[in-house]
Amino acid sequence: MALLSLIVFTPAVGALVLAFIRNEQTVRWTALGFTALDFVLAVMMLAGFDATTHAMQFTEARPWVPALGITYALGVDGISVLFVFLTALLGWICVLASWTAIESKVKEFMISLLVMQSLMLGVFCALDLFLFYVFWEAMLIPMYIIIGVWGGEGRVYAAFKFFLYTLAGSLLFLVGVIVLYLQGGQTFDIIALSNQDIPFSVQSWLFLAFLVAFAVKVPMVPVHTWLPDAHVQAPTAGSIILAAVLLKMGAYGFLRFSLPMLPEASVYYSTAMLMLSALAIVYGGLLALAQDDLKKLVAYSSISHMGFVTLGIFTLNLRGLEGGILQMFNHGVTTGALFLFVGLIYERTHTRSIGAYGGLMKLAPVYTSFLALFALSSMALPGTNSFVGELLVLSGGFAANPAITAIAVLGALLGAAYLLGMYRKVALGPVRLPGGAKVRDVNARELIAILPLAVLVFWVGLYPKPFLGIIDASVKHLLVRVHGEGSGQ
Amino acid sequence: MTGSVLLQWVLASLPEIVVVVGACALLILGQLLPKGQGYFLVWGSIAVVLAAALATLLLAGQTQPAYMDMFIADRFAVFFKAVFYLATVLTFLLSRRYAEIEGIESSEYYVLLLFALSGMMIMASAVDLLSIYVGLELMALCTYVLTGFLRSERRSNEAALKYVVLGGAATGVFLYGVSLVYGVTGTTRLDGLAAAVATSAGDPGLLLAVVFIVAGLAFKVGAVPFHMWVPDVYEGAPTTITAFMSVAPKAAGFAVILRVFLNPLVTASNAWIIIAVIAVVTMALGSFVALVQDNIKRLLAYSSIAHAGFAMFGVVAGGADGIASVMLYLLIYAFMNLGIFATVILMRNGDFSGEAIDDYRGLAKSHPGLALLMLLYLFSLAGIPPTAGFFAKFYVLVALVERGFVGLAVIAVLLSAVAAYFYIRIVMVIYMREPGEQANPALTPSVRATLALTAAGTIGIGLFPAWFLKLAQDSVFGG
Repeated sequence: MALLSLIVFTPAVGALVLAFIRNEQTVRWTALGFTALDFVLAVMMLAGFDATTHAMQFTEARPWVPALGITYALGVDGISVLFVFLTALLGWICVLASWTAIESKVKEFMISLLVMQSLMLGVFCALDLFLFYVFWEAMLIPMYIIIGVWGGEGRVYAAFKFFLYTLAGSLLFLVGVIVLYLQGGQTFDIIALSNQDIPFSVQSWLFLAFLVAFAVKVPMVPVHTWLPDAHVQAPTAGSIILAAVLLKMGAYGFLRFSLPMLPEASVYYSTAMLMLSALAIVYGGLLALAQDDLKKLVAYSSISHMGFVTLGIFTLNLRGLEGGILQMFNHGVTTGALFLFVGLIYERTHTRSIGAYGGLMKLAPVYTSFLALFALSSMALPGTNSFVGELLVLSGGFAANPAITAIAVLGALLGAAYLLGMYRKVALGPVRLPGGAKVRDVNARELIAILPLAVLVFWVGLYPKPFLGIIDASVKHLLVRVHGEGSGQ
Repeated sequence: MTGSVLLQWVLASLPEIVVVVGACALLILGQLLPKGQGYFLVWGSIAVVLAAALATLLLAGQTQPAYMDMFIADRFAVFFKAVFYLATVLTFLLSRRYAEIEGIESSEYYVLLLFALSGMMIMASAVDLLSIYVGLELMALCTYVLTGFLRSERRSNEAALKYVVLGGAATGVFLYGVSLVYGVTGTTRLDGLAAAVATSAGDPGLLLAVVFIVAGLAFKVGAVPFHMWVPDVYEGAPTTITAFMSVAPKAAGFAVILRVFLNPLVTASNAWIIIAVIAVVTMALGSFVALVQDNIKRLLAYSSIAHAGFAMFGVVAGGADGIASVMLYLLIYAFMNLGIFATVILMRNGDFSGEAIDDYRGLAKSHPGLALLMLLYLFSLAGIPPTAGFFAKFYVLVALVERGFVGLAVIAVLLSAVAAYFYIRIVMVIYMREPGEQANPALTPSVRATLALTAAGTIGIGLFPAWFLKLAQDSVFGG
């Protein structure tokens, strides 16, 4: 059974169906139905996943362009399976988040959202480099539309910036892909390419070409400047997708391509990558500290948190890598939730300025309690998901490069400062609301969107074993590939 | 010369004969028809093209030289003829209503297009500099007249005059190059030229001749530094003719360039350096100047210059993949460019010109289907997957990197990122601006058919490129 194809294309089929529906309410329910169905399929995949092997599972392969060795090949391993699950989960959460927030052109919005969903799932499932690139690049179209049409006042500028940054990065990646294709024996098969031995000089160039594409997506300092604009202007669902899934793709690119295909170059450049990561952690944290706009604050905190992810990946040891991957998942859950919360309050009061709020605790106790939970999770309080991830990353980091990791720890402190500061101003103190607006607490629909994320925060925080178990075999295999046989600790 | 040889020659050039005879018949019929019978001319012209296509199909798969080796009917020519047929038929479909609106309905319009088609077909099949010249001039003379078809409009007159003068000069330069070739080598045949270039590459006379020939051909495809006519002519000509010129004559020019420069013997010389320089400047100029255009016809003119530059990279790469990549590029370009021009053409209705980019603002609100199609064509022109435009660019890049031109590939992709900006700017105007003056698109069944066909090609080749790729690879000459 072609389960992965089903998962990837169910939202696209949904988008097609939506095109023929006129009633707005029916559009919403249909979109929810298809994304929920997709989530069920993803859960089935997770249930049938065998965590004891690093091999690709649920594989499918069909010739696509035989003359160039391009196949339609899908499959998941321990690393990608987590993100397929996360993407499918956030799919219906995004639909719920846009239920009332999107007022105009609901149908067009849901179609864009579902197309985007299909493409993102495709990116994580693709086992053919060409197919991967098609999914990866095609995402620009719906995302450009989502930001540009349904975004805030500066949406056009933000959409352009997002589009051109990512396009420029990916085009260099494309040339790298073609070089890899010709070096690696005229194949786009990701598994085959992961076992090729490519001369170091070529690896080194390819690493830099790939770095440009992935660093823009992650985003790493100094190519992060598109992110605050895109996040602030995008509608809530767009921000959730950006933060929770799109940013992961850069890190996923490192894991899927840079490390296994260019192992020597990865080792060679690892220190530089660690330095860039530490820079992102501290710089992103400092910028977040200075923000008055709620969305900007979360956006800059994303840069900081993704720094932990790349730090973990380029420690190139077991704890660091597993922590990095877990942190990718955690960041998707936590930051996705934080953007959802910013969206909820913005929908009610139409301002995102932190200074305009105060004492929200008294008006919306459920809202503020959950906000507290996700803020604490974001600053990696023990018992929450990010604590496990960051602890693993940092312990891996101290083994790889103590000096740089010591700097990164500062970022964790900054996280506490800006998140607690934000929470104090918004939730505590005397009641203050912008322009006499009324605030109602979260309703049932919103609660349904929040709950699974809250469950994941505690699940990963208190009992991370199942999650680490899923990625374990794949990460060990990856390490053997990077360091050579017998070194995988 | 025996009868059987003559018969064989006639058979080899049957498609060309069909088109020329059909055009002559329509010319006479057009004078006899009463006014208001325009649809007869459209369907008659389409029937002629389809008959020629049928003849081409019968010939496909075999290689037949004819007319004392001045002409060849091979798979390479068949591929290009298919592109010409496609472009011509779609132009006919688009012309009917547009000609009515502009008041330029006359039989000459269709007949001249058919003659231009026959000229291009000769170009695709020509293997001698003289027969190339005959085809080139036949095509060029027809397009000069068609450019000036809006007789009462100054822009159109100016464009036609400019085109004639510059085109005449370019042809003169080309012909001078041909005479030099004959003077140095004693032959005008392409394989003779290739052999001479391979053995005495340093000969200054021959070098001058090659430069002149390059200049003449670069003019036809609108490559820098012979591009100055393109924006003015594209803007001034009737939009249907602009659509036609941006696709078919350009493809014909590339057919000749491929035949002349990708002969295995020439590839061994250093002629590629000239082409590489032209490719880089052409693409750079087209992409950067298009950024500041407000008129969509001018913007598409510069975009077509940029695309000529990208296709030129395929010529630089050379080899079987290089040739096939250019061919596939031109086929895909025909679909997406005629598609975007179709949307420009149907915006012209009543007093509404639809030429300013601002005229498209908010189109997504008033005409969502049309807006979606424009989005598709524009993203394809920008080279974003899963559209065909991406695969076209991808294959050219594969051919380039295969030959070790990684640096050129990097330049090509960076410039196409620049080009993407002006395409998505139009998307922005369509989707993210509030609607202004209401456009009333002239959607007739034949225009709808054009849109459907071009959209199917743009998305279909993008998703299932295998068959078209194989077709292009099998049609490479000298295989």
